[in-house]
Amino acid sequence: MYSENKTNSSSDAALESPPLIALRNVSRIYDAGAIAAVTNVDLEISTGDCVALVGASGSGKSSLVNLLCGIDYPSAGTVLWQGRAVRKQTDWARLRRTHIGIVFQEFNLIPTLTALENVELALFGRGMSTVRRQTRAAILLERIGLEARMHNRVTTLSGGERQRVAIARAIANEPLLLLADEPTGSLDSVNALLVADLLFKLHNDTNMAIVLVTHDENLAARCRRQIRIKDGHIVESAGMAFVAPSIVGAAGS
Amino acid sequence: MNLAGLARRNLARRPVRACLSILGIALAVGSALALMSLSHSIQDGMREGINEMGDDLVVTQKGASDIFGGFIPERTIERVASLPGVTRASGELFMFAPSADGSSVLAQGWPDTSYLWKKVPLREGRVPDSGEHGVAVLGDAAAAALGKKLGDDIVILGDTFKIIGIANYTTTINRGVTLLPLTDLQKISHRPEQVTMIHLNVARGGAAGELKQVKSAIEALGELSASTANEMLDKDRNFAILDAVSLAISIIAIVMGAIYVLNALVMATQERTREIGIFAAIGWSQRRIMASIVVEGILMCVIGCALGLALSFIAALVFPYIPAIGNLVSFRPSTRLIVLVLMAAFVVCVLGSLLPAWRAVRMLPAEALRRI
Repeated sequence: MYSENKTNSSSDAALESPPLIALRNVSRIYDAGAIAAVTNVDLEISTGDCVALVGASGSGKSSLVNLLCGIDYPSAGTVLWQGRAVRKQTDWARLRRTHIGIVFQEFNLIPTLTALENVELALFGRGMSTVRRQTRAAILLERIGLEARMHNRVTTLSGGERQRVAIARAIANEPLLLLADEPTGSLDSVNALLVADLLFKLHNDTNMAIVLVTHDENLAARCRRQIRIKDGHIVESAGMAFVAPSIVGAAGS
Repeated sequence: MNLAGLARRNLARRPVRACLSILGIALAVGSALALMSLSHSIQDGMREGINEMGDDLVVTQKGASDIFGGFIPERTIERVASLPGVTRASGELFMFAPSADGSSVLAQGWPDTSYLWKKVPLREGRVPDSGEHGVAVLGDAAAAALGKKLGDDIVILGDTFKIIGIANYTTTINRGVTLLPLTDLQKISHRPEQVTMIHLNVARGGAAGELKQVKSAIEALGELSASTANEMLDKDRNFAILDAVSLAISIIAIVMGAIYVLNALVMATQERTREIGIFAAIGWSQRRIMASIVVEGILMCVIGCALGLALSFIAALVFPYIPAIGNLVSFRPSTRLIVLVLMAAFVVCVLGSLLPAWRAVRMLPAEALRRI
């Protein structure tokens, strides 16, 4: 079976520094072996990388994303964050609080709260005062063009606006890795384009790696790498392996 | 926004359920407070009633299980009165006695010569003259409850007594008494030459050393027990039973309140499984997620306790106007009791919230997010 990291060799410098996140021979099996969502996957994502996970429904893309952010655990294999195996739920929670942002297809916002409060939720546990949290959340919402709607309940926002709130929440902690699971899947074409543009702009403006799960080949083509998943396996990997400038610099020093 | 703000929003989202749960806690706290206050108030009322008589010591039959239970020969009064250090002593026959229309009165019989007659705070009328029979003095609350006034007749244990005085005692228990000449009460209750207790005062205002000496001297007479009002009531088996029953019912009430909280939070967390998954997905620690659920329980508990406290104070205001209660006991929730009940309710509610919180964080976030 195809292993993504075997064919995407990086420079010597990149090999010396651990990837931002790596899956090593990871499998995820449900219902006592009846369903193999992910099978023996090896995958590496570097800092600043932009990766599209492409595949049909039920191919295992979302399961792979769930494993990449630790909201699900592998049945076998290891997930490494910057070279260190992550196994405990507390470690994963800390990573999601500080280094990993997630955007879901269904937005997953808290319906009773406003846009501002939903973004603020992601800033809990960072030792910030309420005022600082609110200020930071407001800045983020301004950045994605939702300053006029920040005090509205999210249930009153359009799909595109909700997804932008979800993006603001995901980037609230300036993550090193943003996982976007079908972020445009629930949106009309105009809003889908707006949200996609926003994600790529955020990626370009920061050193944040993006893993984008999508059915949309055009959207996938905008990513530096495209990884195709079928029946829980990586069957194809295309595009350029990314070597983050900081990693090159670190290796060269 | 903080965890309390989040909890408030969650409660506001399901107002009916939240209100019913809070009402459940309020009733639990209110009834626990009411029950325990009533129990304490009965005891306190009796203690204050005895103290209002100005006793230093009360003599009862040795081994009597309660204040109604023992009987002392009337001749013992003189023997006690003649002991060194005793300045005065008066026997008293004390019982609940049936009156007309199925009601009963708290009847007290005093000897003609008792100093207690001289201490009756009369509102109107007079006390019985020496050797006078067939007359009664009523406490003002008893008179009001029975609808009697000066000059009316009152039937006690089948005999008719003319009301010659209305007393204006300050304590609830004494405001509800019917005072009779001792021989009359002995006759109609078929307890000739018997008294229930002996009230007495000792020299030098009942100093500890003097009291101890007098107590020893009385107990040396045999079959007698001398104690202060507090000591006597503390030994009273009826009050001990009352305390135990009210404590047991209070515990049940508070546990029921906790079950309301538990039920509300289990339902709420089950409905909000997806939200809990969202909290986990954005990096909330298990501790913070649990705290958010427990804070919701605490918020319900705080509102419920405040409401329960208000209910108990309303009961304290209303109960005195209910004759069946107000004539016998005063209802006063003490600060100590309030603190105890609220602390117990708080602890039980927090423990009750921990179960749904623990259940919530056990689930994998991905699994929680799949829930509708």
